[in-house]
Amino acid sequence: MADVHAADAHAAEGHDDHADHKPSFFVRWFFSTNHKDIGTLYLIFAIIAGVAGGAMSGLIRMELADPGVTFLTNFTGGNVEAAYNFYNVLITYHGLMMIFFMVMPALIGGFGNWFVPIMIGAPDMAFPRMNNISFWLYVASGILITASLFAPGYGGQLGFGGGWVLYPPLSSNTGSPGPAMDLLILAIHLAGASSILGAINFITTIFNMRAPGMTLHKMPLFAWSVLVTAFLLVLSLPVLAGAITMLLTDRNFGTSFFDAAGGGDPLLFQHLFWFFGHPEVYILIVPAFGAISHIVSTFSKKPIFGYLGMAYAMVAIGFVGFIVWAHHMYTVGLSVDMKAYFVAATMVIAVPTGIKIFSWIATMWGGSIEFRTPMIWAMGFIFLFTVGGVTGVVLANAGVDHYMHDTYYVVAHFHYTMSLGAVWGIFAAWYYWFPKMSGLMYREWLGNLHFLFMFVGVNLVFFPQHFLGLQGMPRRYIDYPEAFAYWNKISTIGYEITAVGVLVFAVCMIDAFFVYRKKAPANPWGVGATTLEWMLPSPPPFHQFNELPRFDKPGAKAF
Amino acid sequence: MTLRLATLLTAVKKPTALFSGFGVWAAAAANAQITPGGIGMQPANSALAEEVQFFHNIILMPIITVISAFVLALLIWIVFRYNSKANPTPSKFSHNTLIEIIWTGVPVLILLAIALPSFDLLYKEDVTPDGQQVVATGDGQTVDFIFANDFPESRMVRRPKHLQVIIDNGNERRVLKNRADYRVDGFGEVDLVVSMTNPPAAGERVIIRGGRSVDHRGNVTLAPTMTLKVTGSQWYWNYAYPDFGDFDFFSNMLPEDQTTPELYLRAVDNRIVVPVGETIRVTITASDVLHAWALPAFAIKLDAVPGRINETWFNADREGVYYGQCSEICGIKHAFMPIAVEVVSRPAFEAWIDTQRALAGMEPLFDVDTVKLAQGDASALSE
Repeated sequence: MADVHAADAHAAEGHDDHADHKPSFFVRWFFSTNHKDIGTLYLIFAIIAGVAGGAMSGLIRMELADPGVTFLTNFTGGNVEAAYNFYNVLITYHGLMMIFFMVMPALIGGFGNWFVPIMIGAPDMAFPRMNNISFWLYVASGILITASLFAPGYGGQLGFGGGWVLYPPLSSNTGSPGPAMDLLILAIHLAGASSILGAINFITTIFNMRAPGMTLHKMPLFAWSVLVTAFLLVLSLPVLAGAITMLLTDRNFGTSFFDAAGGGDPLLFQHLFWFFGHPEVYILIVPAFGAISHIVSTFSKKPIFGYLGMAYAMVAIGFVGFIVWAHHMYTVGLSVDMKAYFVAATMVIAVPTGIKIFSWIATMWGGSIEFRTPMIWAMGFIFLFTVGGVTGVVLANAGVDHYMHDTYYVVAHFHYTMSLGAVWGIFAAWYYWFPKMSGLMYREWLGNLHFLFMFVGVNLVFFPQHFLGLQGMPRRYIDYPEAFAYWNKISTIGYEITAVGVLVFAVCMIDAFFVYRKKAPANPWGVGATTLEWMLPSPPPFHQFNELPRFDKPGAKAF
Repeated sequence: MTLRLATLLTAVKKPTALFSGFGVWAAAAANAQITPGGIGMQPANSALAEEVQFFHNIILMPIITVISAFVLALLIWIVFRYNSKANPTPSKFSHNTLIEIIWTGVPVLILLAIALPSFDLLYKEDVTPDGQQVVATGDGQTVDFIFANDFPESRMVRRPKHLQVIIDNGNERRVLKNRADYRVDGFGEVDLVVSMTNPPAAGERVIIRGGRSVDHRGNVTLAPTMTLKVTGSQWYWNYAYPDFGDFDFFSNMLPEDQTTPELYLRAVDNRIVVPVGETIRVTITASDVLHAWALPAFAIKLDAVPGRINETWFNADREGVYYGQCSEICGIKHAFMPIAVEVVSRPAFEAWIDTQRALAGMEPLFDVDTVKLAQGDASALSE
């Protein structure tokens, strides 16, 4: 237990005059420098992007429900070629929305901002005003990507339809003339700048503003996970920024970095992209790892098993994540020795990932587990992420990937890790911290119903996609041979069930805010919840820790 | 001289039930390839594809299924055994060095077990076969036959498994056994002497094949007999045959009203034609954006990249038509540029080549009576 100074505990309960002095609405939400308010803004942003990205996947699945191009033509006045373009636009923006505008803002901007300062016993982030600009750059980026969606691209059709990986020459003037792609590049520039600023902020905060006595080895795992993520962001995003800047000059200023006709090489872009892109997938999942550790420990009423192993497994995953990028490129024509290296390096990642999975299980082992809503989501996460992880081991083998690459097997794999992994982590974290953030409880049965619908739904969406991939169905296809119809139909039915689940979530939240309105206690989860946020009231005061909690007394531990 | 390699491959084929007999994982109609509602890989049509499927279906799939089931079983056990009613007092342990060593060490061992066959398979896929053969005719007396082992140092025939000795008496082919039927002198040297235990009879053909490209059935895969030049464009393929006069043709998807519902999105107007049982070198490039040339039945997929020429190969086991689809997003009609390859016998292939040459205004290259063939007279196909 943290040794919170008596006077500080008093302040933390919100009786101090200065602690809860909130600025006016406009100043509070538009010029905000408060980490909790900025976290809330990020979460609202992520929800909006998630709804948009989810709607796009709905259009995709409706189109793929049956063979033939029959659904998207409803949006293009019957123009079939426009429907082809629209489909490609949907898959592209679905990916970008979910990655850059839903998962990253939710886990890092949202929960990171909210809970990293509290967990390490800091009053706020190190650079509050930079925190503010990080968020508003994201908003600007969101506006740009929306503009790009409605700007002309290939053949005067709206939007860019080359996949979220933005490979040239399809993303250069050869494949996508028109401003849609340029706007998209600028949107990603801004999102990247925002994330780099945010990452610098987190690193500085975590290195300098931990409460006295909270060494790195006593720091809660969620703070560890955000620290690892922040390093991944700082090291990988500049490479993406460089790559898309080169793409921008190729498109507009006559350079030919990626144009073979001018002495460039399209594969250079892929190397640069995936040097960012592979760490990016860990950027998405590592904060979820951190949150899941807290949830599992809380509801098992046990300290996390193998704390140091868990922390350094994340560090190891982050490090190895930088040296495996070309496993996304096994079919581009790499030399065989290079492929062999990337096979070996990629499989190494399974080891720290396995350590995490088994440590979570060991944390639960011997516990006295309360199956509250967040815990159910966390257990769902562990199983689904395992399934996504093991298919990753399959795909790591270049010899098999020559068959699987760019089929639905890959789609199934990364949705099991991302959509069923990172998103499961987000929902688990949401249900875990919602009482703390809002000061309100939700009805557990609605949270459980949400879980039930989503668990059945997403598994129906994505498990059959393994079969489609094994049968050879390529991804990013608007139409497919009749023989693939069966599993595609099942997949679309799964989407419909998932959509009902999302509605249940919406009902659960509306109910919590407007109907149920049950006040949350400071610690709704009982003795297992030992990190600092549970020692503050729910919601926490506008400013917390006017006097810092101390961990430097003998025997004081973070857990 | 024309070798009927397909016959040979059938003759020396080992039982391969393990590779292809796993029910749902491999079952599909001969040429349709995709099983409606199927859950496994498309049926393999080459030794290499069989090995890919073996690696996936027999090694990887069971391992990942067991791991997932193990994690699920632990979770279920935890739900029943360690819920707060069953176990009101939580234990407080947070370390156990032994178990941590085990769950670090065991995955390492599993990964090593996967990596070894994985590397083997990868190198087999990626290195174009370079096997060579010599053919001699027995006279009832000669026992020593010479195989020119003139490969680069790293690819030399050094071990018995790099060499295959086959006797063809005109009716059947027999693969001889090392030591029992013949002895080899000079592994790793340029002249390699195969000494038969019994001299081959007069008229019997002695076929010696050597090389490092040995498939999982133990057969030496010979170097390519032809190159197929593939160029991807938005949204069709161009195929050229540089070894036979460099004629080329475009291959477009057949529209819905010109094919069956089953084959729509896979059938094309002009198929690639290749001979069965021979190694085909495929070189792939693109003229505009990225594409990827994929043939699941042969477990190959390689990107078409402007400004680069990528190389792969395949060696078909059976005749028939096999389909693939473009596998790298290439614009609005990405889903509408399929790949279709027709695998035919050597004589039919030669006849087809001559027809194509005639279309391009070239003289016939092979001694095939195309008129007879057109009339359905099988004797045109005799060697």
